[in-house]
Amino acid sequence: MFEIHCPYCNEKRAEIEFSYAGEAHIVRPNAKQQPVMSDEDWSRYMFIRDNIRGEHAERWWHNAGCNMFFNAIRNTVTDKFVMTYKMGSPRRTAKQIDVARETNTADKAKT
Amino acid sequence: MLFDQAVDIPEIFKSERVSVTLIEGKARYNLRVKAADVTAFKKSTGLKLPSKIGSSSLSKVVSCLKLGPDEWLVIANSTQQKKLDKVFEKASKDFICSITDISHRNIGFEVSGELAAKLINVGCPLDLSLTAFPVGKVTRTIFESAQIMLLRTGEDSFHVECWRSFAPYLRDYFKRVMTTRY
Repeated sequence: MFEIHCPYCNEKRAEIEFSYAGEAHIVRPNAKQQPVMSDEDWSRYMFIRDNIRGEHAERWWHNAGCNMFFNAIRNTVTDKFVMTYKMGSPRRTAKQIDVARETNTADKAKT
Repeated sequence: MLFDQAVDIPEIFKSERVSVTLIEGKARYNLRVKAADVTAFKKSTGLKLPSKIGSSSLSKVVSCLKLGPDEWLVIANSTQQKKLDKVFEKASKDFICSITDISHRNIGFEVSGELAAKLINVGCPLDLSLTAFPVGKVTRTIFESAQIMLLRTGEDSFHVECWRSFAPYLRDYFKRVMTTRY
């Protein structure tokens, strides 16, 4: 069983406590945009996802814990979590992800 | 009447090293309060709401457990229910918050004895050593496929709370483990 770091509980918890909740950072169109949006725009918002192979920004839900949603960077090939961060904070840049990955490897080497 | 009777705990559950009993006569409330209101809310209700996720303020009369960033579970003796109802009625008018009486939704088990942590670890992956899970720590988690709330009340005793409909499952699971292992 692998563990996921929850940014709200601030601890590593078993994966079975979490649920996957789709791609992160998809912004819902605001009230002004909505009436002028075409069906195509809507379907793009609702259904079309990047489906990235590699490091993917996605939402997770700690439903059997603090009951909060948070964002995570997970590698869809290796299933390794690079980092997790609180909902509402900006998308992590490639540089931040690189740093997090290096710290993870360094931490692992220590133990 | 509370619904603790929905689960009858027969004979079993008493071995030398671990025992499971039903916790009866409790009133329970689920609170959701905005971070900005917490200080005023505490003053108004007189509740000792802890501020760190996973921590609790325990007492024999009213215990407050923090489960999430804005979520608390209040467990009180049912003798306090009328008083708390009044306190919360006033608070719900003064604050934008959610207060739900869940006394009948949950059922509590007390698991105690030197093997208590081992019994819980059969279905729950948390590290229950005293360093990682000290007395007073609380969390929602999973026991096999049922969601539970786990609280350490003493070095060798735990309060396990689950939804009423999950209680027979939990009881039978405990029973099976205890009859086959201990």
